[in-house]
Amino acid sequence: MSLSTAEALTDALREEARRLLAEGTVAVVVGWEAGRFPNQTTPAFISDPEQAQRLVYGDYCVNTLAKYALGEKAAGKVAVCVRGCDSRGINRMIADNQLLRDEVYLLGLPCSGMKDPATGSLLMKCRTCTEHDAVTYDVLLGPATAAGHDGASADSSAGDSEHVSDEQRFTAVLGIEEMAPEKRRALFDAAFNKCIRCYACRKSCPCCTCRECFVDQLRAGWQGKQNNLAENRFYNITRVFHIGDRCIECGECERACPMGLPLMALNRKMVKDLKSLFNADDAGMTEENSAALGRYDLGDLEEFM
Amino acid sequence: MSRIGVFICHCGSNIGATVDVPKVVEAARTLPHVVYADDNKYTCSDPGQQSIRDAIEEHDLDRIVIASCSPRMHELTFRKMLHQTRINPYLLEIANIREQCSWVHKDIEAGTAKAIDLVRMAAAKIDRDTPLYTTTIPVNKRALVIGGGIAGMQAALDIADAGYPVTLVEKEPSLGGKMVMLDKTFPTMDCSACICTPKMAEVGTHPRIEVRTCAEVEKVAGYVGNFEVTIREAPKHVDYELCTGCGLCESKCPTKITSEFDQGLGKRKAIYKPFAQAVPSKPTIDAAHCRKINEGKCGVCEKLCPTGAIRFDDEEKRSTETYGAIIVAIGYQLIDWADLYGEYGGRVASPNVITGLQFERLVNASGPTEGHIQRPSDGTEPKSVVIVKCVGSRDPHKGKAYCSRACCMYGAKHAHQYLDKVPDGRCYVFYMDVRTPGKGYDEFYMNTQRDGAVYLRGRVSKIYEQGGKLVCLGEDTLAGATVQVEADLVVLETAMVPADDADRLGSMLGVTRDKDLWLSEAHPKLRPVETNSGGVYLAGTCQGPKDIPDTVAQASAAAMKVCILFSKDELESNAMIAGSDVGLCNGCGACVAICPYQAVTLEEVTRRENSVMVTRTVSNVNPGLCQGCGACTVACKPGAMDLKGFSDEQIMREVEALCL
Repeated sequence: MSLSTAEALTDALREEARRLLAEGTVAVVVGWEAGRFPNQTTPAFISDPEQAQRLVYGDYCVNTLAKYALGEKAAGKVAVCVRGCDSRGINRMIADNQLLRDEVYLLGLPCSGMKDPATGSLLMKCRTCTEHDAVTYDVLLGPATAAGHDGASADSSAGDSEHVSDEQRFTAVLGIEEMAPEKRRALFDAAFNKCIRCYACRKSCPCCTCRECFVDQLRAGWQGKQNNLAENRFYNITRVFHIGDRCIECGECERACPMGLPLMALNRKMVKDLKSLFNADDAGMTEENSAALGRYDLGDLEEFM
Repeated sequence: MSRIGVFICHCGSNIGATVDVPKVVEAARTLPHVVYADDNKYTCSDPGQQSIRDAIEEHDLDRIVIASCSPRMHELTFRKMLHQTRINPYLLEIANIREQCSWVHKDIEAGTAKAIDLVRMAAAKIDRDTPLYTTTIPVNKRALVIGGGIAGMQAALDIADAGYPVTLVEKEPSLGGKMVMLDKTFPTMDCSACICTPKMAEVGTHPRIEVRTCAEVEKVAGYVGNFEVTIREAPKHVDYELCTGCGLCESKCPTKITSEFDQGLGKRKAIYKPFAQAVPSKPTIDAAHCRKINEGKCGVCEKLCPTGAIRFDDEEKRSTETYGAIIVAIGYQLIDWADLYGEYGGRVASPNVITGLQFERLVNASGPTEGHIQRPSDGTEPKSVVIVKCVGSRDPHKGKAYCSRACCMYGAKHAHQYLDKVPDGRCYVFYMDVRTPGKGYDEFYMNTQRDGAVYLRGRVSKIYEQGGKLVCLGEDTLAGATVQVEADLVVLETAMVPADDADRLGSMLGVTRDKDLWLSEAHPKLRPVETNSGGVYLAGTCQGPKDIPDTVAQASAAAMKVCILFSKDELESNAMIAGSDVGLCNGCGACVAICPYQAVTLEEVTRRENSVMVTRTVSNVNPGLCQGCGACTVACKPGAMDLKGFSDEQIMREVEALCL
């Protein structure tokens, strides 16, 4: 987005946050503030109206904020800045009964894709994003991005990322599907070998809302504590199966991963298969839970019976 | 620390021949927490059970593993045995070393190793077993019978005569089903209507039977003893309270439609009774064909009706009632041969190619031809008839692989009836085999041959019209020659297939279907009328092809099972049901959405967590509704939902015992 757009949006956001806090509509506003390094931002939690001017919005607000609403809601109503990914995360948590719509106040922001502060290029998660703008909000702080990363005009040269085709969305999956099984195994073994099981993927995921994760359930003993390929493989594959039919494709797990694991390729394989097998809807577009693997229907296939 | 006893059964030579039992005993003695292990020739026998009871006392056992046959065979036997000891009956694990080991292996060494693995798994699992307890649930002593054919009627009468109220649901306007369409019944040749219609009248007037026609079961919730059933009744457009069944409306109705009851060979009116002896003996309006309902004109029936019973604005009715048991008796239909057998003319076949059921109407005195056998095309009497058996049956490539059981006999009956009515006619029967097991059946078949029916062993490969005749090409495999027979009429004895509703009803009631969609009994030999769904029983041809005597016998058997259920005031609930760990449950509701029995609900709890009182939403299982299927336990991502007796922890220990 252009510098002037970013500044205008930042001003609107600060003003709205100050008003909401001053009027007592919300107890806390979750947004972004400037970090220590150029172009770097960090999630901000503002509860004092005087501090609202710390908030910023621009091309480098890389964190998806939805999950933070859970941690803040004990203090009262939470205002959350939402773009496509954040809003779908909120919907996801409402569908999973983790959050009530009344517990959040959503500040809709237009988005034209975020950039990597280190390189200035569009983030991988934004390149394959299908919904840049918020799918639900209480107030919209700027015009929706009709097209393009530059946001301003709707001319034909821009706008690629607004309409990401399924082919673009599943490029990585298709590439891996085409590989020979041995090559595919080698690829994932190499990736899982790097995993340090820091669980940043779990922490950032709006689908991961269990009170005690399966990896910590020692009595059942699903997951060993060893850091080796077998345990890492088990963790990463089980994680995908737990979120597979609910993944909103925000890409936050892959962005948060310090070891660069291709987590979204795994997630999207599930998404793609569920789409073709069950005609599953994209997750998080509404507050309804449409998880394909979590329903019983008289019309379900019973090929095994 | 648990004290496990392991008992390994030889089952005569069933297990003993393929598994070295003493070696398994020796291995069992080395397993953790196993304090006693022994073998037995027949563990399920009285002395076998006594030795287990003795060992429990002598060695102070607190749980036992029995390595024997499938748990489906004897788990209940051994649980009953534990009732006589101080051990909770659920502190029992069965290691199946017969069906899953000795019966499927030949090699003693490999079989023994596998048996040891299975015992090790069971011992690891039982170490984590906990005592389980049942509760009691009330029984609602009212039965629902779905289907008003001979099976449904017989079952309803038996239950009602035993003193329990019954609701009989029939989707057609009259009771009777297929049997009442038949002319005569083999082998005694008594008139079908003469023995069927008295049953219909008895059902219709029985003080404890409520008949609902034009009705279908729309929804079933609940469980054995307490089914909540929603019944939908299509509008009849006639007020049965007022209607006297005088028939004036039917005689004056100007619209004539092809009669379903006469299998398309006769006509009926838009306001009609399907046949003269219908029960209830009152007409219904076929809304799809009524001029008044569709075009707003006519209304003759309304003007003529002496009691003012016509209701053009009648609407669908729905009611939900509670029943303790359900008998499914939805019968069969005939296979749609035209799509499968193009060589017999398929969809453009001659009208003179008819099915056996059409022949029944043709030969029936109250049928469209008043019992005169006439060709549908021109009304002339056929001088030559070909009967083709196994059309769609025993033909896995085109139709069904199974034998429809009744066709050999009614094929012989049709030949006999034809030769009786047309003494100078010729009758040829193409057959693959003649199967006549039954009292007086083979004698009947022999008589038909003596009547002059010519039996040709082979299939008919083609039927086509030539010069007003139907040419049947076939093979006489006994003579080793191809044959060509010219016929005036061809009767196809077509296969029985499940009713259209079988699949829908089956999945609604939790009754499995076999590969051909027949509803499956719980055990093919020992539980022929029960299903795997508690409180749901099968009667008649919905379970598989059968003739009238077998149908009636099965219907009475199903009724008996219902009476046994109703003889108790309370039922014991299943102890092996799901339960939720409130601490782990995050209230996502995945269990609620996936439960086929509506047994899981979300509720708010206030509890102390990390020294703080919190109110959260968590899941709750109704022990009466839960059938222990385990669907929720796999849908539960937080791992809060567990199946008692099959907890995650138990399964993990079992897997570890095998793999580590």
